[in-house]
Amino acid sequence: MNPTTTNLSASIEFYILLSCVLFTIGALGVLVRRNMIVLLMCIELMLNAVNLLLVAFSTYYGQGDAQIFVFFIIVVAAAEATVGLSILIMAYRNNKSTDVGLFKTLKD
Amino acid sequence: MDALIVIFITGLISLFVGMLKKPYLTLGIIASGLVLSFCLQMNYGNYTSIFSKYDNLYFNITQLYFSEMAIGFTLLLVLGGFQYFKQDIEHTSDYLSLLLFSLCGAICLIGFTDLFMFFLGLEILSIPIYVMVGIKKQDVLSAEASLKYFFTGSFATAILLFGIALLYGATASFNLATIQEAIQSGSYSEPMLLIALLFIIAAFLFKVGAVPFHFWGPDVYQGAPDIVMAFMATVVKLAAVFAFLKLYAGTFQFLSEFWTGALNIAIILSLFLGYLSALRQTSFKRMLAYSSISNTGFALFALLTTSPSSAGSLWVFLVAYGCATIALVTISMIIHNVDDKIAAFKGIGYKNPFIGFVMIMSLLSLSGIPPLSGFFGKFLLLSNAINDHLYLVILALVSSAIGAFLYLRMIVLSLAKETENTVEKYPISILQYIVLGVCTVGLLGGWLIIIL
Repeated sequence: MNPTTTNLSASIEFYILLSCVLFTIGALGVLVRRNMIVLLMCIELMLNAVNLLLVAFSTYYGQGDAQIFVFFIIVVAAAEATVGLSILIMAYRNNKSTDVGLFKTLKD
Repeated sequence: MDALIVIFITGLISLFVGMLKKPYLTLGIIASGLVLSFCLQMNYGNYTSIFSKYDNLYFNITQLYFSEMAIGFTLLLVLGGFQYFKQDIEHTSDYLSLLLFSLCGAICLIGFTDLFMFFLGLEILSIPIYVMVGIKKQDVLSAEASLKYFFTGSFATAILLFGIALLYGATASFNLATIQEAIQSGSYSEPMLLIALLFIIAAFLFKVGAVPFHFWGPDVYQGAPDIVMAFMATVVKLAAVFAFLKLYAGTFQFLSEFWTGALNIAIILSLFLGYLSALRQTSFKRMLAYSSISNTGFALFALLTTSPSSAGSLWVFLVAYGCATIALVTISMIIHNVDDKIAAFKGIGYKNPFIGFVMIMSLLSLSGIPPLSGFFGKFLLLSNAINDHLYLVILALVSSAIGAFLYLRMIVLSLAKETENTVEKYPISILQYIVLGVCTVGLLGGWLIIIL
């Protein structure tokens, strides 16, 4: 576990802290907000927090593979956003609202 | 690897063939593609493939068995659900190719050797299913199920990714073998690794639908079309449980004292909450969803032991469970159970003895009555765990008794005398006969495992 001599202006802890904060903001947003579009944005924020963490670790270890992983995550996030927005539009056509709280037909 | 490529290309071809609007042609292409990939997996290692140097996917004998099971179940679902897909002639091939793309993800998830392939497999498995759950666009329930599954699913993905990122931070590698070495030699940063394990286990429990994270299951299963629901209960579940087994009982086995506690709680809650909630359902698919939660609890017993036979017993259990689920869902489609009521099965044994027989066999197998496969699956899983986790096994037996009550009640219902004298004939297509026949063979053939 020898950190390579790269020019990290801040130490790795700050990056971990920052991405944890971003991730928590995203997670709390998913749990608290009711608007579907905001929910989608919060999930994207969580994924981007992960991207930041991976890039920071990649620089810390001096390996490239985490950066490749980030590209995969970006592609998957794009695919997810595409599917998510189309589901959102379908749900909006049925319910005429973007409030997730209105979707309670399915329950015990 | 070749099987994966064959499945993917078959999916692409069938998307284009779909423009001709000839459902039987699409079915032929899909079925032959699946059979070809099944044969390729059977002969894996007997021929040299141009992709054999690609080591991110590796299949040993266990993985081959699991991937063959996934391909076989998909084939059964395609055949059994064809009657349903054919109604919407515009989109028949869309349905079928989405099923195949999702199967690609399942196979990646079975054969992965590093976390790249694991993450991609999980997403390739999930994203087509988000679409398929909501494929009945005008249906309010379907749209709602799709929305719920999408948001909860992508939330779980984000949590999983955070776990993977922390895992990379702790061990500096994505490769499972390297991670295991790092854990064994102790060269890792402990707090990060343990947090990563918790994040990943949460995401996994979500994907397999075990209790603390099961809330999406019944809603999504109820809203989804029958075939998609059966696909989620069989192929998705088997791939996710196997990946769970591989990661936790394999790579993280030296940290087992850390994660078994959390897993034990999840298993106990799943075993009881699933069956107890299933008892008071009137919707057939909801009942299946809750009973699938309990069955997941049984399947997770495979993770408690690191003995090499646990994967084999998991295989037997999942074959029995999958055959029973596919048979029940096919029967539900044959009797046009559009309202999705358990009461629709009333007197089915008199109306059509063949359907009644298959139904009783699958219910008996699910409840674990001895000569059927379900019994052998449960027996093998529990006997592996009995030495270290006796109290868990006792709880599993208690929950199994509750489950037996649930299933026997359905058997009684299916043998009830019809009060109003309506004699209906249920048309069964030849494909559905094949599916029900294969499922029955799967259910009755469990004792062969003991001999082999």
